[in-house]
Amino acid sequence: MGTAQLIQNLLNGISIGSVYAIFALGYTLVFSILGIINFAHGAIFTLGAYLTYALAVGQFGINGLLSGMSLERQLPFALALLVGSVLAGAIGVLVERFAFRPLRNRGADPLLALVSSLGVALVIVNAIQYLVGAEIYTFPAGVYGELPPALMFQVSGHPVVIRTVQAIIFAVCLLILAVVGYLVRFTKFGKALRAVAENPATASLLGISVDRFILVTFFMSGFLGGTAGALVGTSFGVAGPYFGVTYGLKGLAVIVLGGLGSIPGAVLGGVVIGLSEAFVPADYGAYKEAVAFAFLFIVLLFRPQGILGRKQLQKV
Amino acid sequence: MGHFLDNNGFLLVTLVQQALLAMSLYFPLAAGQLSLASPGFYALGGYIAAIVGTLDYFAPWRASLGWLVFPLEWLLAAAASALLALLVGIPALRLRGIYLALATIAFVEILRVLSLNLEITGGAIGIFGVPQLFESRWGYIAVFGPLLVCTLVFGHRLERSRVGRAFRAIREDELAADAMGINTTRYKVLAFVIGAVLAGVVGAMSAPFLNTWNARQGTFDASIAYLAYVLIGGSRSIWGPLFGGMLLAALPEVLRPLKDSRLIINGLVLVFASIYLPQGISGTLARFSPGKRKGALPAGEPQEDA
Amino acid sequence: MKRAALLIVNCLLFAGAAHAETVATPIPIGIALAQTSNVALLGEEEVVGAKIAEKYFNAQGGVNGTQVKLVFQDTGGDEAGAINAFSNLINRDKVVGIVGPTLSQQAFSADPVANRLKVPVIGPSNTAKGIPQIGEYVGRVSAPVAIVAPYAVKEALAENPRIKTVAVLYAQNDAFNTSESKTFQETVVQRGLKIATVQKFMTTDTDFTTQVTAVLAANVDLAIISGLSADGGNLVKQLRQLGYKGAIIGGNGLNTANIFPVCGKYCEGILIAQAYSPGGDPKNAINNALIKEYRATYKKDPPQFTAQTFAAVQVMVEALKKVEAVTKSKIGKLDLGKAREELNKAIRTGSYLTPLGKINLNQGGEIHQETFYVARIKMDANGKTGKYIYVK
Repeated sequence: MGTAQLIQNLLNGISIGSVYAIFALGYTLVFSILGIINFAHGAIFTLGAYLTYALAVGQFGINGLLSGMSLERQLPFALALLVGSVLAGAIGVLVERFAFRPLRNRGADPLLALVSSLGVALVIVNAIQYLVGAEIYTFPAGVYGELPPALMFQVSGHPVVIRTVQAIIFAVCLLILAVVGYLVRFTKFGKALRAVAENPATASLLGISVDRFILVTFFMSGFLGGTAGALVGTSFGVAGPYFGVTYGLKGLAVIVLGGLGSIPGAVLGGVVIGLSEAFVPADYGAYKEAVAFAFLFIVLLFRPQGILGRKQLQKV
Repeated sequence: MGHFLDNNGFLLVTLVQQALLAMSLYFPLAAGQLSLASPGFYALGGYIAAIVGTLDYFAPWRASLGWLVFPLEWLLAAAASALLALLVGIPALRLRGIYLALATIAFVEILRVLSLNLEITGGAIGIFGVPQLFESRWGYIAVFGPLLVCTLVFGHRLERSRVGRAFRAIREDELAADAMGINTTRYKVLAFVIGAVLAGVVGAMSAPFLNTWNARQGTFDASIAYLAYVLIGGSRSIWGPLFGGMLLAALPEVLRPLKDSRLIINGLVLVFASIYLPQGISGTLARFSPGKRKGALPAGEPQEDA
Repeated sequence: MKRAALLIVNCLLFAGAAHAETVATPIPIGIALAQTSNVALLGEEEVVGAKIAEKYFNAQGGVNGTQVKLVFQDTGGDEAGAINAFSNLINRDKVVGIVGPTLSQQAFSADPVANRLKVPVIGPSNTAKGIPQIGEYVGRVSAPVAIVAPYAVKEALAENPRIKTVAVLYAQNDAFNTSESKTFQETVVQRGLKIATVQKFMTTDTDFTTQVTAVLAANVDLAIISGLSADGGNLVKQLRQLGYKGAIIGGNGLNTANIFPVCGKYCEGILIAQAYSPGGDPKNAINNALIKEYRATYKKDPPQFTAQTFAAVQVMVEALKKVEAVTKSKIGKLDLGKAREELNKAIRTGSYLTPLGKINLNQGGEIHQETFYVARIKMDANGKTGKYIYVK
């Protein structure tokens, strides 16, 4: 592998890895607090992409209930992304309120939350299809302004290229990670959040409203998932209501690799899996899908707490 | 009656088939192990039946054995599933709760990608023209039905046996079970293998039933669907997966008249069932009878091999 | 034990089938397509084609004055769903024949069921090898192999005789694209061109930088892509964005207006191999009718799956007319079993002038399509939508 190829793969891997990272953050936040996996997270990812599309472009296609309709007002893309993600976060809150909280209040088997979130995912995905069909929606070329489509430079005589959209996605992801990192590390809110994650019972004794923090967590989780979906959508198009499924699955590998419930772990896991996929030779591209899961399996067998996870003693 | 079966024969057999798959997840769960590996073994069993049924290499077998080749396929599927379950289970079952679930999801996905790319599994298109045991789809009740009865009897007896008591002890508290001198690893692997063998045999029976086999059989979606069957049905007795599998598998078909919105409703039913039937259908029924047990399965913590 | 059960089952079935019943009016034709699941991406295009066909042929008087009624059953994306949809259509809706299912994998599962019950099936989009061989009641209107590939290469060379080196890219997880790419590669070699690089990808891929940089490094004059709309469109877009200047040929999988929004202005100039071309034959009245109807609602040209499903319904309707001619009886007077049997024979006789051009189904149910097309994509000034300009 030449230097150019190496650099190219690194760039590609970091770019897609950063999206995995913010997507997986949403998973891991919920897990850190509730100890459950929200299987609706992939659907929220999809939803974020559709919401942002509706706000920024607003033209619906030829299938579904809204076929042929278009929204009168469009938002500038950056604002649409923000509002779309906020809405995705709001849906996340609704999901927690109606699908998770009743289970918690009843002290039900935590596994039921998996089933309940699966139900939510079914509802979201099929509602999207019911409304706007399964066709591909794409953002117009100019959503990021009039930038050249790609940057190209030469490394020892070979071309290395970065698509502008990749660079922008990477920048947005970095920004989001910085904000989330700041929130969790340095604010009062973050401390409370970690306290709830550590031990909900003690936290509530300390006067922290656990339910409220869980709601906030679901909002952040939905927001991050929605942003990730919208960003991927601008890069490759919104390929039908099911396009979040692969990310939903890979996200699982990402959070386990980094350490379930660990925020820096989710970021590291995202980048590691993004990079390893980028380094799969194109001829074996068919096996690329399996890379994340091979990682998942091996990590679980040899280091189940993940790269950055803490080793926990078993509670008796 | 004939009409009714013409219309619904395939669906009825599908319900039995799905109930069996739910049971394949129930057995590990009975020993406290959340394994979502069933679709992987189901896919494996199906491929074995499809390959033995169509590949030229096996033509002499088919010619000399006649219809007996089908039971042979089931046996092969059972053996292969047991072997693979041992290979995967012994290391993976050190994990608990959600960690084991994730490891088994990875296992299913790896198998899926492999079968999508191998020559012998027919790539993306899969294997078609799988030889038939019966003319009509309803006829397959003659294989799935007895398997269901056997599994029910087996499950029922197991609950009352020494092994079943060991399973329960591990499920309630693994450390305590270990302290009591129960070889927890052995029983956990045993439960995992029982589930795998059942899923493998169901797969081998399903390849002729569906006429074809491909990498779209046995996916992550299926893993979660089976989990839903067991939990909505009730994970505390073998009747739970039976009820859950049959009812939930029937749901999309029952909702068929709703057309475009049927899967939305299907999703809502799952949410409501989780909330309002926390003990599952069988658990809710059992609440009215004496001798109910309570307690939930712990989500588990990551655990190093001690 | 099993034998006994089998015997009982067969008795029950026989009792069921022995009921003599006539075909309902309006004449029910089954449509089993993927209206939910991720396969709906394809299924939705097909549903539109079926609906337009129903309206069009009923306005033309249906089957010699008797209207037809399309009965839709969703197959979902899986095999069991396809069998359930087929069972419903055959037994409950009592259709004379079925158009569907969407995927070849589903066809391998559900078609044998219809075949055993002697119900004619026409596949609108099943391109895999072995579909018509499922049985005597199974046929299709979707051409199986890329006979058209050589024409596209010839056209590219006619336009630029200086083309010397070629890059071939294909979706390796899709059976149609893999076999189409083989045809492309053979053609390229026969034409004395050099294949500088062969790149594989997946239909689920979205990032093609690896493939694109390999193509750029090989410095080729022509890139040939066999893929589907989302992946193919993204690949084209990324090729152009990253600075590829040469010609591009797209295989039949890219023959859908769905790629316009994906590659936008970068779609410009791609040569596409087509089994259906909206502008292929301006004198084809039925194609013009389809285009007109489709444009009235959707403001663009119909995609290939829409046209193929339209053609499948057309074959059903015209074959029903032939059944009336042969049996000298109205379809509504015929016994359902007899009608299905006669319909299947009629489907396989004579030819049909469809939006795909002139086609016929041979005794084995395989389609013979007279013309294939090559078109060039011309994008509008805003880069949002485009047209296929017929070349050959």
